[in-house]
Amino acid sequence: MRKTSLFKIFSILVIFALALVGCSAGGSKTNNESSDNKQQKIVKKDGKDITIAVAADFTTMDPYDTNDTLSYSVQKTMLQGLVGFDKDMKVVPVLAEEYSSNDEATEFTFKLRKGITFHDGTPFNAEAVKVNLDRATNPNSTLIRSSLFSVIKETVVVDEYTVKVILSEPFGAMINTFAHPAAMMISPKAIAEYGDNVAQHPVGTGPYVFKDWQPGDHLTVVKNSDYWNATGNEVDSITFKPTPENGTRIAMLQAGDADLIYPVPTESIDSIKGKEGIIVENDPSIVVYYLSMNTMKKPFDDVRVRQAINYAINKDAFIGVVHNGYASPLKSVIAPNTQFYSEQKGYDFDLEKAKKLMAEAGYADGFTTTLWGSNASSTMKAMEFLQQQLAQINIKVKIESMESGTLADKIWNVQTPEEAEIELYYGGWSPSTGDADWGIRPLLGGANSFPPSSYNTAYYNNEEVNQLIGDALKTADSSERGKIYVKVQEKIWKDAPWAFLAVTDTTYGHKNYLKGAFVLPDGSLNVDQMKIVQ
Amino acid sequence: MLRYTIKRIIGLIPTLFLVSIFVFLFVHFIPGDPARLVAGQDATLEDIARVEKELGLDQPIHVQYINFISGIFHGDFGTSLKTGRPVMDEIGLRFMPTFWLTIWSMVWAVIIGLVIGVISATNRNKWQDYLGMFGAVSGISMPTFWLGLMLIQLFAVHWGIFPTGGMDHSWKSYILPSFTLGLGVAAVVARFTRSSLMDTLKEDYIRTGRAKGLVERKVVWGHALKNAMIPIVTMTGLQFGFLLGGSVVVETVFNWPGLGRLLIDSVAFRDYTVIQGELLLFSLEFILINLIVDLIYSFLNPQIRFD
Repeated sequence: MRKTSLFKIFSILVIFALALVGCSAGGSKTNNESSDNKQQKIVKKDGKDITIAVAADFTTMDPYDTNDTLSYSVQKTMLQGLVGFDKDMKVVPVLAEEYSSNDEATEFTFKLRKGITFHDGTPFNAEAVKVNLDRATNPNSTLIRSSLFSVIKETVVVDEYTVKVILSEPFGAMINTFAHPAAMMISPKAIAEYGDNVAQHPVGTGPYVFKDWQPGDHLTVVKNSDYWNATGNEVDSITFKPTPENGTRIAMLQAGDADLIYPVPTESIDSIKGKEGIIVENDPSIVVYYLSMNTMKKPFDDVRVRQAINYAINKDAFIGVVHNGYASPLKSVIAPNTQFYSEQKGYDFDLEKAKKLMAEAGYADGFTTTLWGSNASSTMKAMEFLQQQLAQINIKVKIESMESGTLADKIWNVQTPEEAEIELYYGGWSPSTGDADWGIRPLLGGANSFPPSSYNTAYYNNEEVNQLIGDALKTADSSERGKIYVKVQEKIWKDAPWAFLAVTDTTYGHKNYLKGAFVLPDGSLNVDQMKIVQ
Repeated sequence: MLRYTIKRIIGLIPTLFLVSIFVFLFVHFIPGDPARLVAGQDATLEDIARVEKELGLDQPIHVQYINFISGIFHGDFGTSLKTGRPVMDEIGLRFMPTFWLTIWSMVWAVIIGLVIGVISATNRNKWQDYLGMFGAVSGISMPTFWLGLMLIQLFAVHWGIFPTGGMDHSWKSYILPSFTLGLGVAAVVARFTRSSLMDTLKEDYIRTGRAKGLVERKVVWGHALKNAMIPIVTMTGLQFGFLLGGSVVVETVFNWPGLGRLLIDSVAFRDYTVIQGELLLFSLEFILINLIVDLIYSFLNPQIRFD
C-alpha cells in the first residue's frame, strides 16, 4: 500500500515539473522594458583586443581561391584591392587613386597611390599588381576565382605607379570585378615564397597583420603599426571565432566573450538588444530570395500562372513570418543597393486577381507541383509558408527539402532542359560584384545559364532579354548600362519567371563601446573605421 | 599475455584494410559533387572541371582507390578537398581537443555514474534508488544541446564563472563542455552499475564477507564492485570509443574545435579525403579500445586468460 501511494505522489510531482518547464521554456521575444538601442550607458571594456564571433569557419586566406563571404571578411582586415565597395555598394578608390577606361570597355587604367608597403616591407606598385593579376590569369592556375579574371588578356606596367589592364573582349562591369574581394593585392614576395600556400600566409597592405590561425577555433590579426591610412583608432588585435551555434554566439555577446557577432538570428534580436550594452543593427543586404518556376514545364510555361502565383503570395506576411520583419519586399530582379536597380510596380497581394488569372489559364481547379529547397530551418519555414499561400489558389505544393550536396546534384546533374525534373525552387542569390550583370545573367540569362552551366533554375530564355544583357556588357559607360538594365528588369518583371519575394537585412550585434565596424550589403564585415570608445 | 596483445595488434591490419574499402565506396557513392561545392555558387563549368582535375576526381574510381591506399602506406592521407591542407593536419589539429574533452567527460561520467549506481544498488527500491534512476533516465533523455545552452546561460552569461565556449587552454573552458557530455554517459554508467552490482550483491561470497564481519562499505566497494565491473568496463569502453569520434552537438554548442564538427562539415562538403581519414581513425580507435577492454578483463578477473 505504502509503495503505491508513494509512486502516485512521485508521478504527480514529475508531471507537475514537466508542465512547469513546458510553460516557462521559450522566453518572450518582446522587451517588457522599453529599452532603446541608444539610451544605455556605455559598458566598460578592458584592453584593446576585440573578439568577433561569426557563424562558420573560414576556408582560406587567399582571396583568389575563396568563395565564401566570411573568409573574405577576415581577409579584408589584412588585404586591400585597387578599388573597393563603400557602405552602399558603390565603387570607391582604395589602393588606386583614380581609374579610367576606354570607350570600348577593353582597356582599364589605374593610377596607384604612392608610398604604400606590404606587411613584409615589399613596396606596393604596378609591378606588384601585375604579379597578382598574372597569377590569377595563369592558364594552369587552379584558383577558384580565375574565371572572374579570364577576360583579362594582358596586364601592362605603364610606369612605376600606373598599370593598364587589357581585356580580350569588352566587359563593362570590369571595375566591379576589381572591387570584388577576390581581386585584393597580395605581396609579390609572399607569392614567390609560398606559392599557393599564401592561403595560410596572407600578406597585404591592410590595417591588420596576420598572426595565427587554428582552424575551427580562431584566427587572430594584430595592428599594423605602419598602415598607410591609419586613423589612430585601430585596436590592438582582432580574434575571429567561428561559432556555428546561434545560441552560443548570442551568449558570447551577452557575457562579453565577444565584442561583435554576426549574423544575429532574427528571432533573437528583440530579446538581446538594448540590454547589457548590446546594440543590434540591421541594414538591407544585396541578397534576394525568390521562388523560381520552370518556365519550360507545364503549367509554368503560361505567364498567367506565373503572375497568379506572384499575386497570391503576401510578401509582407512572408517577411513577418520567415524573417521576423527584418527584410523588405523584392521589387525587381535585384536588390535596391545593387548597381543599376530599377524598381518595378505590381504584384501586390491580390487573391482575387490571382484566382482570375488561374481561371483564365484554365487552372481554376489548380494542380499539384513539387518545391525544392535546402534543409536549413529558415528555408523550411519559408517553403511551408509558400505552400500554404499557394494552397489558396488550389495549388497543392509538395515540399522536398534536401541537404546542399544532394540538392546541388539534383539541379546540376542534368545535361539537357528536357531531362530537368525541377519545378519550383526556393532560394537566394547575392551578386558578389554588386553589379546588375552578376545578379541577372547567371540566374535568368537564357540558355547559356541553364544548369549545368549556371543557376537558371527557371530555364528562362527570352531572346530580347539575352540580347540586352549582352549589350550591357559591351560598354563601360554607366548611364548606357543603366538604361539597358532598366529595360531588362521591366521585361523580366512582366514575364515573371520568379515569384519575387524579399530582400533580407544583414544583422549584426555589438557592444556599445565598439563603433565604426559595420556589415556591408554583400554580407562582408568592414573594420577599417572600428574604434573603442569609453 | 604479450603474445596475445601482439597477435591482436597485427590483426588490426586486415581489418582496417577491409574498413578502408567500405569507407571509400560508401563515401564515393553518396550523391553530390565535391568539385561543385568547392568551386562555389559563382562557378562556371570550366571552373568545376578544373577543380575536378585538381582534386583527382576525374579519374576512374579504382584508380582513385589505389592512389588512396598507396598514399596511406606512405603516411599520406591526401589533402582536404575543401581547404587543400593535408588530411593529417586537419585531423591532427582537432584530435587533441577531442581527446582531452573525452577524458574529462569520462572522468565526470565514471565518478558520478559509479556513485549513483552504487547508492541505487545498495538501497534497492528505497527513495535513493528511485531518485538515482530518475536522474539517470533524465540524463539519458535530456537533449545535449539544451543542457549545454542552459549551462552557458547560467554559468557563463548570468554568473560569469566559466567562458561561453571555445578551448582556450585554461581548465575553466573544459568544465562546462565535459560536464554536459559526461552527464549523458554518467546516466548510462549509473544504470549499468546498478544492475550489475545488484546481481553481484546476491552472490554467496558477499554473504560470507558480511558474516565474516567486514564493514559494509568494504564489502560493497572493495569486493562486490570489483567483481561487478566487467559489464561496466565493457560499456564504458564503448562510450569512450563513441566520444573519441567527437560529439557534434557539444562541439557545436561550446565551439570546441573537435573531430565531430570536422566530420559533419566534411560530409556536408563531400570532403571525401577528410571523411575517409576520420572514419579510418575511428575504426582504429574502436579496435584499440576493444583490445584494451579485453586486457582489463583479465586484470579484473584473473580467471580470464587469453592464451
